[in-house]
Order: sequence, then C-alpha cells, then structure tokens
Amino acid sequence: MEQKAERKTRREGTHLLVRAGEYSCALPLAAVRRVVRALTVHPLPGAAGELEGLAEFGGEPLPVLNLARLVNASPGANPSYPVTVVVWVGPVEGREMIGFTADAALEVVHVPPESIVAASDGGFLQGEAPVGGEVVRILNLDALGR
Amino acid sequence: MSAPHAAGYLLVRRAGGVWGIANEAVSGLARDGRGYRLTVGGDVVVAADEILGVVTGLRVIPAAPALRRFWPESPAGMAVHGGLPVVVVDPLRVPAALRWNEGEDA
Repeated sequence: MEQKAERKTRREGTHLLVRAGEYSCALPLAAVRRVVRALTVHPLPGAAGELEGLAEFGGEPLPVLNLARLVNASPGANPSYPVTVVVWVGPVEGREMIGFTADAALEVVHVPPESIVAASDGGFLQGEAPVGGEVVRILNLDALGR
Repeated sequence: MSAPHAAGYLLVRRAGGVWGIANEAVSGLARDGRGYRLTVGGDVVVAADEILGVVTGLRVIPAAPALRRFWPESPAGMAVHGGLPVVVVDPLRVPAALRWNEGEDA
C-alpha cells in the first residue's frame, strides 16, 4: 500500500525539462504527449504574444503557445533544434491538446513535490524548484486549460 | 459546447492563415483588386487574399480554452484541411483581421 503510494508520488513528480529562453521549465511528464521538431505555426492576427498561432498535429488543429513568453523568460540564443512539446492541459474530463514552442527538450527529471516553492500568483506557474544546481520553473498545466 | 455544422465551408486565405466560412452565411462574393470581397452574415464585408475553394465534411471542433484565453476573437471552431489549420468563423462575430476596411485593396 505504502509502496503504491510512493510510486504514485514519484510518477506525479516526474517532469520533462525543456529550455525556454533563459529558463528551464518542467512539464509534468504524464501530460506530455509528444515532442516533435518545431511545427509550422500559422499566426492568428491580434493574438497575445504568448499565442504563436495554430498548427496541425496528427490531423487536428493545435493551438501553439510560446513557452518563453508564457513564463516571461528573455529569449535565449537561436536554438539549434527547436521543438514543439505537445501536451494535455486542463482537467481530465475536459482536457485539450496544446503545443509549446521551446528551444530544446533537455531530460526527464524527478521533482519531489516538497522541493517546490509555490508561486505567489497561482497562475500557469506552479512554482520553482532546484534541479541539478539550477532553479527550474514548474508549470501548472491544469490552469492553462481553464 | 457544440461545434457548428454546415453543409460546406468556403475556405479563404487572409493575413497568413486559412479561414472557413459556412457556405450558407456567404451571400455575396466579388473580385476586388488583387483579392476578393465577401458579404457574410447579411451585412459584414470580409476581405480575402485568395479563395481556396469549398469543402464539405470539415470536422469542426470547438475553440480550445487556451486559444480563447490569448486571442480576443470568438471563432466558431477550429479544423484542419489539407494539412493546414483552419479557423472557422462565426458569421456574427467576424474577426477584425478578416473585415474589409473602406478604401482597402483586398
């Protein structure tokens, strides 16, 4: 029973680390559907800077957000292998698929829940946590789908 | 939330994107300079750079909350046609980027 709970906690704490401008961001691995070479995005006139536009993924329309803009990161150097990370956002009963443009997918890491310092705004950022000598931003994907 | 169903959609290109307008909402279409002028929803004039054609069987899904959060427009939905994402227009709430402006050469 205890082992089962431990496994569940470990699964929930597993994140995909991606580079977004000057920041590293952690996305809950369970919500990540695919990491692909940067998709072609068609801009939506009048959209906020966070929304790059619409792309096609697996025959479906996919809203694509700029992860660096979303977390207010200064843009980094031109990425050599930019990616689109396709994720599920929102609650399970009404989840939707969106894409994040990121400079690179880095690695899968474990972020213990107790190491996360909660963000004050309660928005898309769940908080920050130290990972491998660096402070990473932990995203709250549920908040994005609401 | 329900997605719209129409017999067919007129697909147009404008401002770098592809837009779908339900056939029955289009009451006029005229050449205007290098582009086109369409009358939509009775009295709204829409500009198009290119007419891509009419498609049937477009699978329209509701606009995602993330889309609505960062885009002030209210589309009827989203779809994909020919590998391209399509914004399906609500004829009663045509996005500003599609509206034809007086004196504009579409």
